[in-house]
Amino acid sequence: MTAAQVVFYGACLVMLGSALYVVLGRNLVHCAFALVATLVGVAAFYVFLGADFLAGAQVLIYVGGILTLLLFGVMLTNRIYDLKISTGAVQVFPGAVAAGLVFAVLVWIIRSVDWNAMDTGAPGPTSEPLGKLLIGDYLLPFEIASVLLLIALMGAAMLVRRRTRP
Amino acid sequence: MSDALASLGRFLPELLLMGALAVVIVADLATQAWSLARSRNLLVGLTLAGLGAAFVASLGEPGGGSLFASMIADDGLLGVLRPLFALTAIFTLLFSLRAKELDGARMGEMVALLLTVTAALMWMAGSVNLVMIYLSLETVSVASYIMVGYRSSDRLSNEASLKYILFGAVSTGVMLFGLSLLYGLTGTLDLYGVRAALAAEDAGPALILVLLLVAGGIGFKIAAVPFHFWCPDVYTGASTPVTAFLSVGPKAAGFAVLIRFFYSGIAQPGADGTFAAVGGVDWQGLIIVLAVVTMTLGNVAALLQTNMKRLLAYSSIAHAGTILIGAAALSSEGIGAIVTYLVIYLFMNLGAFLVVILVHRVTGTFELEGYAGFWKRSPLLTVAMGIFLFSLMGIPPFAGFFAKLYVFAAAVEAELGWLAVVGVLNSAVAAFYYIKVLRIMAVDPGDGELPALRFSRLDGALLLALVTPNVVGILFGGALEQISEIAQRLLDLA
Amino acid sequence: MITRFRQVEMRLMGPLTAIPIVLATVVLVTIAALPFVSAVLSEWIRDAVPAGLQHAVAVTLGTVGFVAVLALNPIYAIWLERKVAAHVQDRLGPMRVGWHGLLQSFADGVKLLFKEDLVPKDADRVLFRLAPMVAIAGAFAAFVVIPWGVRADGAVLAVSNLNIGVLYFIAITSIGALSVLMAGWGSNNKYALYGGMRAAAQMVSYEIPTAILVLVVVAQVGSLSLPEIVAAQAGGFLGISNWLVFQLFPLNLIAFVLFFICGLAETNRTPFDIPEAESELVAGFHTEYSGMRFAFFFLAEYGNMLLISMLAALLFLGGWVGPVGSNPLLLFAKAFGLVVVQMWLRWTLPRLRVDQLMAVCWKYVIPISFFLLVVVAVLKSIL
Repeated sequence: MTAAQVVFYGACLVMLGSALYVVLGRNLVHCAFALVATLVGVAAFYVFLGADFLAGAQVLIYVGGILTLLLFGVMLTNRIYDLKISTGAVQVFPGAVAAGLVFAVLVWIIRSVDWNAMDTGAPGPTSEPLGKLLIGDYLLPFEIASVLLLIALMGAAMLVRRRTRP
Repeated sequence: MSDALASLGRFLPELLLMGALAVVIVADLATQAWSLARSRNLLVGLTLAGLGAAFVASLGEPGGGSLFASMIADDGLLGVLRPLFALTAIFTLLFSLRAKELDGARMGEMVALLLTVTAALMWMAGSVNLVMIYLSLETVSVASYIMVGYRSSDRLSNEASLKYILFGAVSTGVMLFGLSLLYGLTGTLDLYGVRAALAAEDAGPALILVLLLVAGGIGFKIAAVPFHFWCPDVYTGASTPVTAFLSVGPKAAGFAVLIRFFYSGIAQPGADGTFAAVGGVDWQGLIIVLAVVTMTLGNVAALLQTNMKRLLAYSSIAHAGTILIGAAALSSEGIGAIVTYLVIYLFMNLGAFLVVILVHRVTGTFELEGYAGFWKRSPLLTVAMGIFLFSLMGIPPFAGFFAKLYVFAAAVEAELGWLAVVGVLNSAVAAFYYIKVLRIMAVDPGDGELPALRFSRLDGALLLALVTPNVVGILFGGALEQISEIAQRLLDLA
Repeated sequence: MITRFRQVEMRLMGPLTAIPIVLATVVLVTIAALPFVSAVLSEWIRDAVPAGLQHAVAVTLGTVGFVAVLALNPIYAIWLERKVAAHVQDRLGPMRVGWHGLLQSFADGVKLLFKEDLVPKDADRVLFRLAPMVAIAGAFAAFVVIPWGVRADGAVLAVSNLNIGVLYFIAITSIGALSVLMAGWGSNNKYALYGGMRAAAQMVSYEIPTAILVLVVVAQVGSLSLPEIVAAQAGGFLGISNWLVFQLFPLNLIAFVLFFICGLAETNRTPFDIPEAESELVAGFHTEYSGMRFAFFFLAEYGNMLLISMLAALLFLGGWVGPVGSNPLLLFAKAFGLVVVQMWLRWTLPRLRVDQLMAVCWKYVIPISFFLLVVVAVLKSIL
């Protein structure tokens, strides 16, 4: 096994283990922090795929932004002096069966398909081609994403705003 | 870049809507100090102007090409649906002026949401790229969640919004997973590229999984069984104009995505206007099952409802099932039938919701009991409701009859006669609950003497605008044929 | 009384002074020599180490070097801070341990090492123990992409010369917010929790303008790679006039000042230190920490100060280029200069209220940053 493989399987282990903890853990705050490891694991995957910009963006947006907000959500919606924020895992057996089935189907499908794999040359810097795509062929999706974010922001602000005006 | 600039000219309706969005946001900010009524009038006026301009700009012959590097198909289907979305939004906006639930509510965010969602519906209907499909669908969804939760002090509205978000998040996630598998299978995000790749090589069982997952996402948008659970609760919790909008706009856009994905992405047009599945999976059966289950469950569940909004929710599920028959026909005729149905459905369903809004204004209830004795209070409203419900039932000579006729004809043409029969049987079941509403309105005695109803001028105009197409639909068979013919002109990049 | 106390202190410290003196010499020499050592070492690696191992050896040595800098930096930064504070307040500051108190920090360090390591009874033990480690890991990991200079043959002296260096830097420093939340929550103390929440909110908010201001630079240089950004600033009059801060006057100057302000806020330094405002929150998120765990937070804070100063120097002040040509020491000089400015500000300005803090960010810094980005992008495409 090469060093890269060791790191890869290590990242897989961290990712799967922490993801399992997120689902099964009983302490909500711990689960949220375990999600950090999962998301960083995803970033590691991006690195292995040669998507350097995506990996950086993954950490920046998910770990630095979304997860912090998620933690805020968890900490602010509960009584903050009470440390016993826990979630029970309900319907473990049916859930496990369903997850197992989905897993089996996915494995079967993944193994049965001749995937359209890309040419794996040496990974180069991706930020420049990515930027050119975003303002070139994918200009419209890029702009629509900004409309989506704008409206989500407005909606969130509206829903939580205190009603002061009669 | 030049492609983007050239595309802008054919993108005018959406640009107008986005311009109006910017204006409305600034206007809302600038008029914070104004009285509620005054700022409301200004905002609604500005929005109406934007929507009206978009409506006018969206009329006319479709261009026939693709826009923004094959992101949007500027074809007949989009050409027909764009004005439909603008019209739906205009009606919704006018409804919201009359809805009791929105009395005294600030309109700034509502109009901004309405403009965004209208533009997003147009993007959705035109998408021929997997990324575009997902993004536009998500924009519509997010805007819808907020619109449903608009009355944030109302618990029912909150609950509905939350349910909608949970369902929506799961189904769009599922759909996204399906789309990513499809990308892995074909190596392209372009629907026409997907078709070419699938035609070149069968995809096997993976495609079945893709279809099931994508059907989940689209089924959520058109409220097809078994992805319909959100529908009754959301329809009840949202303010009625929003409900009316959701029952028409996103549903139509969902069907557009369905047509694009199934007909352009994983099927190939044959010689005589039929389509044949590519990729080695015959998905017609999937659509047929969805259609039958959706129709039947929607109608049967509607029979049991005692709340008008829930009844209309199940009725809209049943209609989605009927429209799916057209999608199962796998022919250009089927596409024409779907779009014609959607156009007529706009008028009949919005009409029914207008009556619900007006009744709620005086009675303050959505329960069916509240409708008792309306014949005495307002024969006009009862007759109008009668027309809308007969049209929804599909009774000639009202427009709804033709809608169903086209769909069933397309099914028979595609040798799916038995499916048409199931559709007719379902219409018979539907007649029970529609007539029940009418019976309560016309025959049941109300509680004592109630004052006669007074309409505002706006009510009258809206009723007239919605009743007329339902009644005189028969006179415009030619126009319907034309709509159907234009809608069948799908962009084809062979 | 006071005199007697000091005598006791001195007597206790007496036998130990030999250790700090030796350590201090090593540290000073190391810090001063590191840039040169690294250049020499990298050449040695190129010439003497087998090709297959070069990368591994270089990364290992680079990491050791940065760990050394990060671990030793606070020792003198704290002494410096106390001296700056004292002189701002017309005092002398530490004078007793070593020449002008130069060894004071070593004494404090020894004290921290021997202190009892307390974990509150009702604390969330896992998070409580994890928080300082995450804090310091974030600071260390960010150093990986900081380049120190270039070798004569053009090779970059950095542990890892990433193409997306700046993005990586911004991404990895955002982990600091998590450690603060961990500490705040794990302590099970209301002051700690409030402090943690405030700090995290502040860090997340100020990350936005930081990223935008970095983009202002990136838009002008056209690269996310730090060595390339520095290379673009080389040459010019006295080796100074090409520094980005002097370009497009005054746009980049404003950007630099704003970036520095955001840096202060991200490291929770005064005037943005409301998360640990003594007068209301005791000590904020690290209220419950003592001993080495507390020292870790200190290490991370001073590490972050140095980091943000280094980044500012690299982005705006020409990094290792200057009047004396290209020299790693220049980068360190600029960075430590900015660190001193941070300290100077801390003892000069009063702290902002929570609402003012957020208002500064969302109502002023972010809009101005966006404006700068747009103007710079437009100017860049015109000129």
